[in-house]
Amino acid sequence: MSSNSIRILAGNSHPALAKLIAKRLGTDLANVTVSKYSNQETAVTIGESVRDEDVFIIQSGCGEINDHLMELLIMINACKTASARRITAVLPCFPYARQDKKDKSRAPISAKLVANMLSVAGADHVITMDLHASQIQGFFDCPVDNLYGEPSVLRYIRENIPDWKNAIIVSPDAGGAKRATSIADHLDLDFALIHKERKKANEVSRMVLVGDVKDKVAILVDDMADTCGTLGLAAKTLMENGASAVYAIVIHGVLSGKALKVINDSVLTRVVVTNTIPHAEKKKLCPKLDTIDVSAVLAEAIRRTHNGESVSYLFQHAAI
Amino acid sequence: MKNIVVLTGSSHPKLAQRICDNLGIELSECKLGKFSNQETSVEIKKSVREKHVYIIQSGCGRVNDNVIELFILVQACLMGSAKRVTVVTPLFPYSRQSEKSQKKRLPQHQIGSEIMSSLTQQTDGPSSLPQGTFAQSFMGMSTGEGGYRQWCARAGTLVANLLQAAGADHLIAMDLHDPQYQGFFEIPVDLIYAEPCIIQWIRTEIPNWRQAVIVSPDAGGAKRATSVCNKLNLDFALIHKEDLANTKESMGLVGEVAGRPVIVLDDMIDSGSTVGLASEILKRHGATEIYAIAVHGVFSGPALQIINKSPITQVACTNTVPQEEFRKLCPKLATIDISSMLAEIIRRTFNGESVSQLFVHDEQF
Repeated sequence: MSSNSIRILAGNSHPALAKLIAKRLGTDLANVTVSKYSNQETAVTIGESVRDEDVFIIQSGCGEINDHLMELLIMINACKTASARRITAVLPCFPYARQDKKDKSRAPISAKLVANMLSVAGADHVITMDLHASQIQGFFDCPVDNLYGEPSVLRYIRENIPDWKNAIIVSPDAGGAKRATSIADHLDLDFALIHKERKKANEVSRMVLVGDVKDKVAILVDDMADTCGTLGLAAKTLMENGASAVYAIVIHGVLSGKALKVINDSVLTRVVVTNTIPHAEKKKLCPKLDTIDVSAVLAEAIRRTHNGESVSYLFQHAAI
Repeated sequence: MKNIVVLTGSSHPKLAQRICDNLGIELSECKLGKFSNQETSVEIKKSVREKHVYIIQSGCGRVNDNVIELFILVQACLMGSAKRVTVVTPLFPYSRQSEKSQKKRLPQHQIGSEIMSSLTQQTDGPSSLPQGTFAQSFMGMSTGEGGYRQWCARAGTLVANLLQAAGADHLIAMDLHDPQYQGFFEIPVDLIYAEPCIIQWIRTEIPNWRQAVIVSPDAGGAKRATSVCNKLNLDFALIHKEDLANTKESMGLVGEVAGRPVIVLDDMIDSGSTVGLASEILKRHGATEIYAIAVHGVFSGPALQIINKSPITQVACTNTVPQEEFRKLCPKLATIDISSMLAEIIRRTFNGESVSQLFVHDEQF
């Protein structure tokens, strides 16, 4: 009896991660060519049969996001018309996740739009990691697996931060408090919060620390680091309040614009990001950058989804 | 015109401005850009609540960026409680991938030899990806190596579904590559043709048009070309491209062009290979002047160089795609303005009048 097998297709956003995932699963990446026609339209050619197979398409929302999003949609649609049995979109970093509510008049809810587009293209299942707001899962009609980078972060802290037992977990803004307290509880550490105080409009907001960091190693935890303005200011505030060293651990290291300069000039000892977004080039420019490899988590999720096993084990334990 | 809002994406703002000038209304202010991490950012400055919104976006330039921007604009209007959202696409994106039409894209080696040899000495023009990989993957596809016939993705239905999923209620498109495309949509689609503007241009700009022959550069465009030559009462000829691959000596021209000016008519000039090859064949058969007219002037890759080196006298394209940059590089290029056509269809659909008037006879705009 032949059952279907896993086929991994990779777009152009993060081929290195796709290769790591395929290696963990013991397969090769499927033969897919994704390029552009001369008029800039995306061209996708699938070089092997995917009929009745379990297809996983790995594409992260980073770099040239619109190009990568169109690549993903066209790949999903191509597999659907090629009679794949099930198509799962694996998005380590979900694109447009931060535009998830109508915060002013006529603002688009782009996260909902992306969810609609993925369903319309033909995705049956979505696997993503650390959504900006886990309520985004509700935008989909198909099943969504929101994996957590937390177990990997906990393991990194235990293995790589000297004197972690004397550390304190700090959230750089009020929105991330829940995430930071969860980590603090697991490690049995104290918790602190940095809160932006706006006295007047147009005045540079002051950062107020709530909690005591004196003589402790401060670990800033957040889900995304984009321009790093918040992280830089937070680190400065912590040092002014007596922290001995400041580390920053974020899941999605977008690091766009002046981010690397801000990190290099700041008082941060180290900035740790996962490899949901490629940053090999950025590491050369910023020696403070370190990586947590989450390909194992994604590969395990893919394997368990294919075999019909529970994925919730991964929410508590870091895949080896 | 009250209760109408016209928005433009960043693909062709000048055309949108001309359309609004024609309509006598202001283009609504809308801030478009990108966040630092390259995500598209859209801010509509004017209220769209209970208004009829027209969004003008062409599928040219950075196509994926413009397509996503269009979807986000539609969604933003939907969230802003617009009464009805109509999308106006002068050039519909991904329109040529609606069926297995990739065979029509000639690989580089089939362009006329004289033109090609002069081009190979130059380095590649601005292109985002190495041409070698695309050419290789294309060759692999056409020869079907490895036993498995490669599956080329067709994005046509997908883009139609995505546009509907984003929330569009109505689509107005100009000269779609396949008119059957209308059937991919659940929403009403109005197709508009640039033909009247093209006929007017032929009458005014080509001095000896009454002796000209209308030529279709491939079999697929014959219907389009015969429609024009019937209205102008001219002769017709056809270039049978598919035959050329097999026999070098086969001339591939059906019809007589010796000693007459010819007008090559096509819906799009993209890589320039079709029109370049056609002009060589026509010159060999004795055509005096060669005019090339296309609705959409995409001009990607080496298209402008091919045209500059070819025996073509003049090229005319409409401004569905921005043409200023191309005109600077190609002195043979002229532009046919279709903004009045688009403005007329917007006015009629907004007022609830019939648009079939626009196609019965060619009106002077």
